[in-house]
Amino acid sequence: MASPFNQLRERLLRAGVAPQHVRRYLNELADHFNDLRAEEERAGRSAAEAESAAFARLGGTDDLANAMIAQRQFQSPFRSFCVRAPWAAFGLAPVLLLAAGYLVACSILASGWSIFLSGSETPFVKVSGIAEVYFGIGRMLYLASPVLIGWAITLVAARQQLKLLWPTIGLLLIACIGAGAQVHASRSTTVSSGIPLGATHVVLSLNAANASKVLAISPWHAATILTLTVLPYLVWKLRSAIIQPTS
Amino acid sequence: MPPRETNPNFMNGVPELLILRLLQMDEMYGYEIVQAIRTRTDAVITVGEGVVYPVLHALERDGALKSRRKTISGRSRIYYSITPAGSLRLAGLSQSWSNLASAIQKMLSGGQHGQSIQPTA
Repeated sequence: MASPFNQLRERLLRAGVAPQHVRRYLNELADHFNDLRAEEERAGRSAAEAESAAFARLGGTDDLANAMIAQRQFQSPFRSFCVRAPWAAFGLAPVLLLAAGYLVACSILASGWSIFLSGSETPFVKVSGIAEVYFGIGRMLYLASPVLIGWAITLVAARQQLKLLWPTIGLLLIACIGAGAQVHASRSTTVSSGIPLGATHVVLSLNAANASKVLAISPWHAATILTLTVLPYLVWKLRSAIIQPTS
Repeated sequence: MPPRETNPNFMNGVPELLILRLLQMDEMYGYEIVQAIRTRTDAVITVGEGVVYPVLHALERDGALKSRRKTISGRSRIYYSITPAGSLRLAGLSQSWSNLASAIQKMLSGGQHGQSIQPTA
C-alpha cells in the first residue's frame, strides 16, 4: 500500500502542492482505501483481490495527482518563490539568516562579557555556573548556525524536488562564510567619540584577507560544514534507494 | 470490461454540485459521499473515487464546506457539512445546470431555445 501513495506524495510535492495539503489528502485516501478494501472483502473477494479492486476504484496515481494539482490554491507560495527566485531563496536568504544567527551569538558574547566578566580583558576565559551556560548558548549558536541553515537548504531542496544548482551554491556560500568567520573581542583603552573607557567591542570578520590562512585552515573547516550539512541528505537518499524496490 | 469513467470534459462543476447537494441533507465523510453519488446517480456518474477529496478541500477552502474530525467505532474520520455560503453556491449551480440541461434537452428534441444560459460566478 505504501508504494503508490509514496509515488503520489513525491509527484504532488514536486508539483508544488503544499506539504500540509499533501498529508491531509493522503490520510483521507488511506482511510478511503481501507473502506473500499473492507467493502470488497465483504463482497467475498480474497484479500489480494480486494486490495487490487480497492486501488482500481480509488483511481490511478495520475488521476489522483492531477485532481489535486489542478486545485491551484493548494500550491505552496514558498515553493513558487523558490522556483521563481532561487537565487534569493538559496543564495541571499541563507546568508541573511546566517548573519542574523551570528549577530545574536555576538550579542550574547558581548552582553555575557559585560554581565559576568566585567573586569576581564577578554570574554574568552574559563567560566562556570550560569555564565558557562550563557556563553555556551552563544557558542552553540555560532557553531551550529551554518550547519542548521545548511540542513534547511537541503531539506527544502529535497522535499520540493528542486534542481540542485542553487541549493549547492547556497551550501557552498554558507560553508565558506562559516569557515571564514572570526570573532574578535576587545575593550577600549581610551575615551573617544562618546565611547567610555573599558567599553566592550565584539566584531565579526571574515578572514578572507589572510590568503595563507584561508588556504591552510578554512578549506578543512568549510569541508567539515559542507559534510555535516549534506550527510543527512545523502543518508536519506541511500535509505530511500534501499527501501524503494522492496515496498 | 470495467465501467467507463464519465468523460471529464463534461464533468466540470458536476462533482461540486453533487457534493453540495448531498451535504445539504446530512454531514458525511468522503467514502460515504462517493457511495451516495454512485447510488443516487445509478452509477451513471463514475469517477476515480479518490478525486473527490481535492474537490472537498477546495470547497472547504472557499468557505462552502466545513469539516470536523469525528471518531465512530474507533475510526477517526473527517466529516464535511455545508455552510450558508455553500447553500448559496448550490442554489446558483443548480439554477445554472437546470438551464443547461433544459437547453440541451430542447436542442435534442429539435426545438429552439430562446433563453440564454447565464454562467454563475
